[in-house]
Amino acid sequence: MNHDQKHQKPKTPTITLRKFVLSDVDAFMSWAADPRVTRFQRRDPYDDPADALAYITTHILPHPWYRAICINNTPVGSISVKPAAGEDQHRASIGYRLAYDYWGKGIATEALKLTIKAAFEELDHLERLEAIADVDNPASQRVLEKAGFKKEGVLRKYVRLKGESRDMVMFSFLVSDAV
Amino acid sequence: MDEEVTLRLCNLADVDDLYEFASDDKVSAWCRWDTYTSKEDLLNYMKTGMIPHPWMRVICYRGRPVGSISVTPYTGADRCRAELGYVLASQFWGKGIATKAVKLTLETVFKDLKDLERVEALVDVNNFGSQKVLEKSGFTKDGVLRRFWIHKGRVRDMILYSFISTDPLV
Repeated sequence: MNHDQKHQKPKTPTITLRKFVLSDVDAFMSWAADPRVTRFQRRDPYDDPADALAYITTHILPHPWYRAICINNTPVGSISVKPAAGEDQHRASIGYRLAYDYWGKGIATEALKLTIKAAFEELDHLERLEAIADVDNPASQRVLEKAGFKKEGVLRKYVRLKGESRDMVMFSFLVSDAV
Repeated sequence: MDEEVTLRLCNLADVDDLYEFASDDKVSAWCRWDTYTSKEDLLNYMKTGMIPHPWMRVICYRGRPVGSISVTPYTGADRCRAELGYVLASQFWGKGIATKAVKLTLETVFKDLKDLERVEALVDVNNFGSQKVLEKSGFTKDGVLRRFWIHKGRVRDMILYSFISTDPLV
């Protein structure tokens, strides 16, 4: 057997980012209805596609920057960039979610890299991207590190998640960090 | 010194005392607000911003208002945390008054504000005075948030400090 082939890591599939459309609701449910994916999110998993459709309509479509992470144009997750409120338009926070079957393939890292580039190009005045990951979510922390984010510290009891206050790790990526 | 620093609710009659430092450029330099140039404007802020505030106190030294301190909670999923802010007349800097005010605040704010578990404070990397106040009051430095905040037109690195309800009072 070819020794190199045996030890090669599987390649990350080619991914693209695009805006959501309403007909993506079924794909959306593949991660939004999964408690393994929503475990570190504020929301509970969706049961009803009608609720998911309402969320796409009222939250995703009008959002300043929300994209579907796609393989062969089929959404397998989503990533969003939310500018800070008020005068701090130089700062925005990133969130992302991926269907469970697509974890561990480098997809989230790749989506982040594409998003960092697009966000600094498209959002005026943007200087700082930030993201927080639960201390008990090392997979997400690794994704952020691999994408080039710098860990700034652990923020104790920072947010309430499903009835409990959680310690979160804060990461940032500055426009000057881009290589 | 300790008994000489007290906290109490603000009332409109405090306007003259508060105006003394609110109109001082040295004081407003590190604050989000610009130096006040009219008592009318300050009175308005006291009516709309200070008196209805969820947790705001006047800092008194020997019974006289010399500053203010506030804890502003976030909402929704973030309601377990609140931001500390304080301001002190410049002639009273360097006497440990702000530190005493912060300690007095930490003694009661977790009981006063429902759901509160974390008090945090954002301090400019160059504001060494305020960094010392927080460190002496028992806050932990969480980290430096790079280019976090626009302060009077300039983007600044800020140090984030926190005090959790279970942390020991010093």
